[in-house]
Amino acid sequence: MDLTPRTAPEAAAPSTRRRWVPLLVLGLVVAAGGVLVARFLTSAVDYYCNVDEIGERAGCEKGRSLRVQGTVEDGTIERTDGTTSFVISFNDEELPVRYEGEPGGIFEECIPVVVHGRIEDDGVLRGTRVEVKHSEEYVDENAERLDDAVDRSGAEQCSPPA
Amino acid sequence: MSIPPDDTDITTAGTSSAATRLLGTLAVVGVAWLVAFGLLFSPADRDQRESVRIMYVHVPSAWLAYLAFIVTAGASALYLFRAAHSLVWDRLAGASAEVGVVFMGITLLTGMLWGRLSWGVFWTWDARLTTTAFLFVTYVGYLAVRRLGGTHQQRARRSAAVALLGVLEIPLVHFSVRLWRNLHQESTVARPDGDVKMDGLMLFSLVVGLVAFTLLYVWLVIHRQRALVLEDAAEDHGLEQALSDRRAEAALPGGR
Repeated sequence: MDLTPRTAPEAAAPSTRRRWVPLLVLGLVVAAGGVLVARFLTSAVDYYCNVDEIGERAGCEKGRSLRVQGTVEDGTIERTDGTTSFVISFNDEELPVRYEGEPGGIFEECIPVVVHGRIEDDGVLRGTRVEVKHSEEYVDENAERLDDAVDRSGAEQCSPPA
Repeated sequence: MSIPPDDTDITTAGTSSAATRLLGTLAVVGVAWLVAFGLLFSPADRDQRESVRIMYVHVPSAWLAYLAFIVTAGASALYLFRAAHSLVWDRLAGASAEVGVVFMGITLLTGMLWGRLSWGVFWTWDARLTTTAFLFVTYVGYLAVRRLGGTHQQRARRSAAVALLGVLEIPLVHFSVRLWRNLHQESTVARPDGDVKMDGLMLFSLVVGLVAFTLLYVWLVIHRQRALVLEDAAEDHGLEQALSDRRAEAALPGGR
C-alpha cells in the first residue's frame, strides 16, 4: 500500500496554512514579550520617588529623570499660557511642578499624582507627563459630600497619603 | 471520552443541552443585572465620578481570566500526571484558555479606557500593566502552541507544559501592586487585611459582575470544549477516510 504523502495542491494548501499561522503568531508573541520587558525595564530606570525622598533616597537626586509621587496641594493650581503649575507634597515635604499642557484624567487639588520629569537647578520639577493616581477607596459621591461639608468647614489643607 | 460515539454525525451534532441552555439563560439574566446595577443603581464615585462604572467589567473580567488560566493549568496537570492521559482534560484546558484570553483582552481594553479617564493616560509601563500584558501575550502563545500540528496527544503534552509554566505568572500579576511602586491602585477587595474600602452598593454591583461573568465563563467553556471534541473527531474522521481511501486504492488491480 502506498503510504507516501499526497502532494496534490488541494491537499497541501490547508496543512501549509495551518503550520504557518501558529508559527507566525508564536514569533509575534516572543517579539511582543521582548518589547514588553524592554519597555518596562527602560521605564524602571526612572526611579519612583515620593516627594520627601528627593535628595534623601539613592536614585532620587535632582537633575535626573524621575517619577515623583505627591498630592496636589490645595489652592496651588495655576494655569497660564498652556502651562499648568502646582505644588505636590508628601509627608509635609513640598515640590513645585511646571507642566506644559493640561493634565488629563481626574486631575484636581488634593489628589495624588505621579509626575514624570526632571528637577532643575531652580528646584522646580519640569513635568513631561502627569498621571493621576487614585486610591483603592471607592466612595459614593453624594455620601462624601455630606462628610466633606463637615470635614472641610475648618481645615483647608489636604491630608497627604499615608 | 476521547471522541464522540461512532454513531454521532459530526456534521450535524450541536454543542448545547438542556443544562447549557439553562446556564446560558442564567448568564444573560446575570449580565442584565450587571447592566442595571453597574449603570443605574450604583452611585458615582467621589473622585472618579461616572468612570468608576468601568470597574464592574474590568475587575470581574480580570478575575475570570485568572480563574480561566488556573483551570487551564489544573486540567493540564490532570492530563499530564494521570495515567490515562485523557484528552478530555486537554480540551478543557484549551477551551478555558481561549475564554481566558478573551477576558484578559477585555481587562486590558477596559483598563486602558478607565486609565485615560481617571489617570489621564491610556497606558504606562508600571508593573501591574506590564505583567498583565505579558500574561495576555503568554496565553496567546499558548493557543498558538496548541495549533502547531501533530497528533492530539502531542498537542496535549506540548500545551500542558506551557500551561503549567504560564500559570506561574498569575501571582506576579496579582501581587505586582504590592511588590513594586505603581500607578495602579492596590487591591480593594482581595486584600490581606480584609478592610474593604468600597461603598456597599458598589461592592454589590461588583459581586453581581463576578457572578454574571462566572456563569458566562462556565457556559462558554462547556460549549467550546464540546466544539473541540467535534473538531478532533472531524480531524480523526478525515485521517480514517484518507487511510481507507488508500486501502481501497491498494486493493484495486495494479495497486501498490
